[in-house]
Formats: sequence, structure tokens, C-alpha cells
Amino acid sequence: MSTSCESIEMAFPSTLSEALALQADERTRGRLISGGTDLMAQWESGVLAPPPRAISLQSLSELRGIHEFDASLQMEPGRPRPGSLPSISIGALTTHAELRSSPLIQQHLPALAAAAATVGGAQIQARGTLAGNVANASPAGDLIPSLLIANASVIVASMTGERQIPLANFYLGYRKIDLHPDEIIVRFVLKKCPEGSRESFRKLGPRAAQAISKIMCAYRARVQDGLVQCFHLALGSVAPTPIRLYDFETWIEGQTLSTALLDEAERKVASLVSPVADIRSTAEYRQWVAGRLVRGFLEELLGG
Amino acid sequence: MTVKDRQFNWIGKGVSRVDVDDKVRGRALYVDDLDIPGCWHGCVVRSPVAHGRLKGLKKDPSFDWSQVVVAGPEDIPGVNIMVMHDRSMPLLGHDEILYLGEPLAVVAAPTLQLAREAARRIRPEIEELPATLHLRDVVKQFKAGDSSWARLSAQTLVKGDVARGFADADFVVEGEYTAGHQEQLYIEPQGLVAIPQPDGGIFIQGSMQCPYYIVHELHEALNLPPEKLRVKQSAVGGAFGGKEDFPSMLAGYCALPALKSGHPVKIVYDRNQDILYTTKRHPVWTRYKTGVKKDGTITAIQVDYLLDGGAYLTVSDVVMYRGVLHSANGYRCENVYVNGMVCRTHTFPSGAFRGFGAPQAIWGLESHIDRMAEACGMPPHIFRLRNCLRQGDSTPTGQILASSVGSPAVLEKALEAARFENKLGLCTRGKSGVKSYYGIGLSFFPHGSGFTGDGESKINAIGAVELALLEDGRPGVNIRVSSTEMGQGALTALSQIAADAVGIDMARIRYPFADTALVPNSGPTVASRTTMVVGSTVFSAAMKLKQALSQFAKQEPGLSGPADFERVARAYLSKGLPPRFEHQFQLPADVHWDQKTFQGDAYPGYSWGCNIAEVEIDAATLEIKTPRVFACYDIGRVINPLLAKGQLEGGLTQALGYALMEKLGIKNGRFDADRMQTYVIPTALDAPAYDIRFVEFPYDHAEPGAKGVGEIPMDGLAPAIANAIEAATGLRMTDLPITPEKLFEEMKKS
Ligand SMILES: Cc1cc2nc3c(=O)[nH]c(=O)nc-3n(C[C@H](O)[C@H](O)[C@H](O)COP(=O)(O)OP(=O)(O)OC[C@H]3O[C@@H](n4cnc5c(N)ncnc54)[C@H](O)[C@@H]3O)c2cc1C
Repeated sequence: MSTSCESIEMAFPSTLSEALALQADERTRGRLISGGTDLMAQWESGVLAPPPRAISLQSLSELRGIHEFDASLQMEPGRPRPGSLPSISIGALTTHAELRSSPLIQQHLPALAAAAATVGGAQIQARGTLAGNVANASPAGDLIPSLLIANASVIVASMTGERQIPLANFYLGYRKIDLHPDEIIVRFVLKKCPEGSRESFRKLGPRAAQAISKIMCAYRARVQDGLVQCFHLALGSVAPTPIRLYDFETWIEGQTLSTALLDEAERKVASLVSPVADIRSTAEYRQWVAGRLVRGFLEELLGG
Repeated sequence: MTVKDRQFNWIGKGVSRVDVDDKVRGRALYVDDLDIPGCWHGCVVRSPVAHGRLKGLKKDPSFDWSQVVVAGPEDIPGVNIMVMHDRSMPLLGHDEILYLGEPLAVVAAPTLQLAREAARRIRPEIEELPATLHLRDVVKQFKAGDSSWARLSAQTLVKGDVARGFADADFVVEGEYTAGHQEQLYIEPQGLVAIPQPDGGIFIQGSMQCPYYIVHELHEALNLPPEKLRVKQSAVGGAFGGKEDFPSMLAGYCALPALKSGHPVKIVYDRNQDILYTTKRHPVWTRYKTGVKKDGTITAIQVDYLLDGGAYLTVSDVVMYRGVLHSANGYRCENVYVNGMVCRTHTFPSGAFRGFGAPQAIWGLESHIDRMAEACGMPPHIFRLRNCLRQGDSTPTGQILASSVGSPAVLEKALEAARFENKLGLCTRGKSGVKSYYGIGLSFFPHGSGFTGDGESKINAIGAVELALLEDGRPGVNIRVSSTEMGQGALTALSQIAADAVGIDMARIRYPFADTALVPNSGPTVASRTTMVVGSTVFSAAMKLKQALSQFAKQEPGLSGPADFERVARAYLSKGLPPRFEHQFQLPADVHWDQKTFQGDAYPGYSWGCNIAEVEIDAATLEIKTPRVFACYDIGRVINPLLAKGQLEGGLTQALGYALMEKLGIKNGRFDADRMQTYVIPTALDAPAYDIRFVEFPYDHAEPGAKGVGEIPMDGLAPAIANAIEAATGLRMTDLPITPEKLFEEMKKS
């Protein structure tokens, strides 16, 4: 066994401001570690060199919790007000196990709950976090497409205050995120799946559990009398980062669902993605199956 | 009394594993758990290229070499060879380097970190040469009649005349089948420690299947008499053949710096090293040309069976023999020709893996049988029932199946359990517009139990039992054999056998870790031979002990009458009478094998199996699911039905991985998957619902009548699944693993 992780100096701040203070100073700054399920594996296998210091976020209660709120009212998360609350805030440290079993997520963000249920196995779900999944920035990060279709934003904090970044802009390139060295992701804000809309998630992996996705796909749509009024589509493992397929969305919105449209949609999706081959799958299969998955979603919608 | 009629107390019961408590509570000591004072750590310096000429090893002058020991070929006390089967492979590479990862030197240091650092500071200078990395390149040459590829071994099997068989045929059916490397992926990686002894000898301890193999392989290189090379197993966390031949190499890597430094030296691979630098299942290419008549009679089977042996022969010739013997077996056919070959590629030497060449053979044969059935318009099960070998029939090597023949029983029982015939009608082949394709497929196969050919009569396995006072001060029996418990349940099964033979409670039986200082050579723990062959030596040795005790009791005043074991054993031991009883395994006198002509009794006996797989394929994505697998086996007398089913379910799941998931590519000479994230094996969620049944045809040449169970679960699932996929989609998949990606490619073509 490698002993490489043993040399890391660990800090365990107990409040967010303590953690932010550590990150603000180059001499105390360290690699942020939440569940450690990505980092430990990357350090151990040599994909990443173990850093001199790491900051455990596990004790920061500020990074926990799932709340409904109304973003337009600029209201603070966690202080519910009467009336409809169209947004949800999810703490950075929320685990996959919490996501999949939260009634709020199940009801209002069903694709996210479904995605969380496909991550790794029970152990990884108990330990791995939403922020870790997002910040790890793998094109195969299973939660990301479900966040993208919900127009999620990332809230990051530093000593100087908070920044809100639309998730779609958070990814700058392959494994590159818009996070400054002194910042910590504290929570995510998402739009609930509105009444009358549907969403769904599908993952294809090389086996039934403990599988890194060959491809995964989430959509949110509203269809009335066969007319596609609104369509959000996001895919993972077909590009250097998980992506929203905006070109497809604009193409299909305003069209009426029909069998002929299904064929066209399948081809359209395939023409819009250019995945690569890797150890898990081939470029051709990914391209083809991306179209097939979207066709499957549309069939669901067509079927009522 | 015949084998069939014996009544048993422990044998046949599904008692739970004797070692379960130790394993579950973490008390079992694996090699990395052993507390060895002054133990150093070893790290192997390897070739970074697949083929080349070694010019030298360059040590970084800025490193402090006084704190470590480096052992190279010049430090080998004897000859720099591994004995294996052709004495061609060096213990440490020199001159011509034949594979990436070939060991060139071993560094040992007081800490693992230092050993690794030092190994990194040694740079092999190698002039690179062109490398052959893929079996498919050799196949291309072979098909083109170009014989310049490196042939490591060859063997033909001839029965009748295939030319005549083809002339008699109404249809000639041809096909090719391939499969790549498969990694054993035991839970506990390879690990051994070599401890120098005061007498100049060496003591090797650790994870292994075959303690005596290590003695055999290393005594020449280490220039030690065999008795000074003591080998003992620790708890073994799975092996699957991976710890048959490879530990001999690892023992050499540990022993050299241990002898040089005087310190114990331990090497425990991490998962990456274990996948990259240990033996795997041989990649295979087979080509079938067969003749059938309209009525389903098989008139000829002609096979080319080519294995990728990797860089050196090691045990590949015998793997190929087993492949040859299983590539046309199981069916009546008067004209058989099998051309077995092993080629060299510049990859890690291929080695033993559950099934040892048979799964590769049966993968081709059982896929091809379906094609033959189709050619003459017969359902696949009817074709098999019509042609399967039965009692009294003769195999391709002319072996008469005189007794203990579980065919056609396994076929009949599995077909009935699966309701195969009803489900055939549900298959979606030829149907369009379905959301999910459905198919059912089967395979049928014998598996030779015990060593191939004259292996058993050459090794003359001896098993022993010893009457002793156990740790509680009361008498009991120690089993002394060199067979290792490695997770398969030998400890429990052999204890049941010994308990029944002596006629005592299983709780009075012990089976200490195999230690060459204490046990006779009962042979390696391989070839599905432990319960059958070694179990029978234990049974007979224990019968001798029982005999001795009852003789003693009769003569001893005060013990006459129905004396209990405890009293008699105590009295016996207190007299200082010989406590140890041995038995040597012997085949009946009329068993013959001719290695030259490859004719005769190829195996002491055969287990039989039938697998039936149901598949569901998502029409949208071509994902393949196997919701149900039915299997029926004849493994002779079932010593422990619980453990036997465990072996079968585990082995079938390993076969499922072979069929649908497990793949290792080679990039620049290196395996492209080197961890469990990228080398994908099935999880419990991927495993089908198993329906496993037995038909018992006890082996009647060795009590208590068991046959092999270890390997047979690996044999037939891949072709059963491929046949089911064909029934579902009409696509004949001929390369393992069968993935959605490959199905997609095939669908595009059709
Ligand atoms: C066996 C196994 C199976 C897995 N299966 C899957 C799977 O099926 N699908 C999948 O998507 N992933 C899978 N993963 C990957 C991983 O578990 C998930 O991505 C998980 O969500 C990561 O969360 P974490 O808290 O453990 O991240 P960590 O390892 O703690 O961190 C990951 C990255 O995020 C950064 N980070 C963490 N928290 C913050 C924060 N608050 N602010 C800024 N940066 C932060 C870290 O610095 C690091 O770069 C698997 C991993 C393993 C080991």
C-alpha cells in the first residue's frame, strides 16, 4: 500500500469563517476535502500528487441542509415564507444518500434524486458529496446533468463575500472550474421542476453499480397537447465537460411530438455531440446512444 | 462396499465453513498481517518496454545506495532460470527483454517508501526492438500461411479422418471465436515474504496455491537442496489460478535480496501492480470447421486452437493441452482433428486461471454447436441431446466413459428446470419493433477433473492424517496435505471427509496451513483435483487411522467393547504408537495415457455441466441483462452442497464477467486497465438469479466419490449467453466480452 497520503497536514476548521480564513492565506491554504471519495482515490493512484495541506469541510454546518426558497425575493435560504417557493438550495456537503432520500429532492428535483441513486455503491453514496461531484469536474460526474437542467447556480464564498455562478459557466474546460484559490463552494441553488413539467435521468455504465458512466443524460420538459413548450437537455461523458444541448433545445421547442419527430430528434442529437473513445466505450456508440436516450425520453413524453 | 452405497454423517451436509469465524472477525492472518521482526520491503525494477536488448541498469549516483540492497542476476546463487515447463524464462531478465514489466533487479530496503524510491532511481537502458503485442496479429500471419510467428508449443489430437467426415456431411459449418485476457482479481493481492534461516536456507511464507511448486521452481536458482527451502502458506484471499505459477516468480524476487541482505524481505503488490504484473488467462483464437448431416449426426470436427502464451512458455503447453482436450469433447463424433498451438507475444506470460484453457475451448465449441444445430434445422437442445456423449461412449482421445457419466442427466435436468422449450418460443430473433429483445441459450460440457493426461500418475499425490492432542488437550486429527485453503472451502470439505472416515465429530479435525516442512506432497491446489484426488487420499489415510485404532482397541485390555474415540486415541498416543497415516493416490491399473499420440484416458474422470442463460437486451441502448441462469452439474458426490453452490455461483459470476464485461487492452505494451475502476467485473447487482441443481454420479475409483467443481463453473456461461443473444437478436457474437458497443457494430453491419 502506498503511504503517500500520510504526509498530508490536515486542518479541521469548525466554522465556515475559520475555513475561509485558512483559504485566504497562502501559507495555511489547503486542498478542500469533503467526502474524500474522489481525492483519496486520486492521491492513492497517483493521478493527483498529494498536497502538503488539506482542509476538511466535514464539520461546517453552514454547508449542509436542503431548503425551499424564492430566489426572486432575495430571501435567505432556510427562512421559509408562505406562498410558492420556486427554488431549492442544497448545501455543498449534502451526500448522495441524502439527495436520493430527501422528500424535497424526490418531489421537486426527481432527476437529481435518480442520479444520486446511481452513484457508486452505498458506501460512496454515504460519503460522497454534491460539491465534491461538481468540483471534481469529471465529464462523467453523474449529478451534473441533473443540476444543469434545473438551471443550477453555484454559490461560492470567500472572505470578501459570495459569488453566484451559473453552473453552465462554472466549467471552463476539461477538469477546469471557475473557483478562485480562496473560495469554497457553500451551496447550490436550483429551480424546482415546475408543476406540469417532467424530468428524468438515465445512466449507462459498464455494470449495474460501482460504474463510471459511459454516458448519462437528464432532461426536463413541459409538453402540452403534444406541443413541446420547454425542453432542457443535459448530457455527460460526451464532451470534455457535462453539457446542456442548447441547439437541440431551441430546435425542439415549439414542435409537436410525433413518431417522425422522434426519428429526427434521434439524428439531431447524434449530430450535435462529438464524444471520444475511452476505456469505457467507443465514440460511435456514445454518439448513437445519445440519440437513442433522448428518443427514449421523447417516447416517454409522447406516451403521456 | 462400493462408493455409491456408503452412508455418511458429515459428507453431503451443507455445514458452514470452518474458517468463517476467523475470516469474518478479521482474525485470519494474511501475509501482510504477519509480524516479522526486522522485515524489509522489496520492490521490483522492471523493463519499461515490451521488447528490447538490455544494455545495463543505470543507478542514480546522487542516491545513497548504502541504505538499500539491490539484487540483480549476478546475485542469483544458482542458475538464472525458472524451471516451469521448458526452462526458458529467467528469474531476472537479461540480454533480450521479452515483455514490459519483466523483472530486471529487486531492491530491498527497511521501508517500502525507500525501496520504491531506490527502484525509481535505477534506469534500465534498453535498445528497443519491434514487439508483437496482439494475438490478432499472429492469427493474421497464421491464416496467411506465414509461419514466421514464434510458436512456443503445439499438439494435435487426431481421431478417425476428418476428410472422410466432411465428405459424409450434408453441411459444413465454419466459425471463428476469440477472447482476450482475463484477470483473476482475487481480493488479496499477491504477497510473499522470504526469511533467511540460520542454516543458510530460506523460509517462504504467504499467499499461494502450490507450496511445493515454489520449492521445485527455486531450488536450482537459489542453489539450495529442496529441504532447505521451506514454504508455508498464510491465509489466502482468493487465487483462481493466479497464485499457481506466479508466486514462484514472486518468491524468487523476495528470496534474492533476502539472501543478499540477511533480512526477511516482503513484497505485497498493490492492486495496480497486481493487475499489471501478474499472469492472466490466455487470449484465444479458435477456428471450427465441422460437418453435420441433415439428421443431426456430427461427421467431423476440425479445430485450430491458438493461445497467446505471452513472453514465455511457463505452463502454457499444459493449458493448451487442456484446451485441445475440451475443444471437441462432449459429443459423439468419429472424426476429430484438433491443432493446438501456443504463440509468443511480448506481453506478460499468460498463466493459470480457473478452467486452464477449457473455458476458451468451450467458448468456441458451444457457440459453434448452436450454429451446427441451426444448419440442420434442429433446436439447440435437441441437437445436443441427440449427440451428447453417454455412458459407454468414447471421447476424442478414445477414452471410454465407463462410469460416473452425468450426461445426458445434466442436460435433461437443466432443460426441465428452465422450461427451456417453452421459452424458446418467446425469443425475439427476427422480430422488429420490440422494446426489449429476449433470448434463451444453452451450453453443455464435460470438464476433466484432476491433472491432464498422466499428470496424476506422475505426481503420485500423498495425503496424510495425524492423530494428535489438539490445543484443548484432547485427541483429534490433523490433516497433512499440501493443498491450500484459498477461499474455495478445501478446509471444510476435507475436514468433513476426514471426520467421516475416522468416524468422529468434525470439531475434532484440524487442517493447519500447508507447510512443506510438515506435509507430504499432495500436489498443487489446481485442476479441480483437491476434493476428488486429495480428498480421497485423506479419506483412505483416515480409514487407515481408524483401522489402527480399532485394532489397538481390540488388543488393549480395558478398551474392549464399544470404546469411544477419545479413550482409545489417548491410550494409543500414550503408548507412543505411530500417529501418522498416509495414502498415495492411485488410478486403476487399466488407465492409460499416451502423451505422444494424445490418445487414451485424458482425465481420471469428468464432471458434467449444462448452463442455460436468459438475456434481455434493451432495444434502445443494447444494454445486456442476464436476469436468470439455470445450471445443472454432475460433480460426483457432493461433499458440501452449500460450499459447492457457493463455488458455482461465484464461478458463474466470474464467467459472466468474462462473457459481458472484463477486458484488458494493450497500449504500448502495457495493459490499459490497471485498477478496479477500469477493469470491470460484475457486482452482486449484475449477478442473475441462479437456479443451481446437482445430479450425483459419484466417481467410483476414489472414495468418497467426488469429482471436480472448482473450474467447471467458468466453462459454459459465455457461450450460453452468446447463444441467448443470438436467439434474441439474430446476431452471432464471436468475441468476448460481448458489450453493447460490439452489438452496435454488428447491428450496423446487418
Ligand atoms: C468506488 C467509487 C465509486 C464512484 N462512483 C461514482 C459514480 O458512480 N458517479 C460519480 O459521479 N462519481 C463516482 N465516484 C466519484 C465520487 O465519489 C463523487 O464524485 C463524489 O460526489 C465526490 O464527492 P466527495 O465529497 O467525496 O469529493 P472529494 O473527494 O472530497 O473532493 C472532490 C473534489 O472536489 C473539491 N471539493 C470538495 N468539496 C468542495 C467544496 N465545498 N468547495 C470547493 N471544492 C470542493 C475537492 O478539492 C476535490 O477537488 C466514485 C468514487 C469511488 C471511489
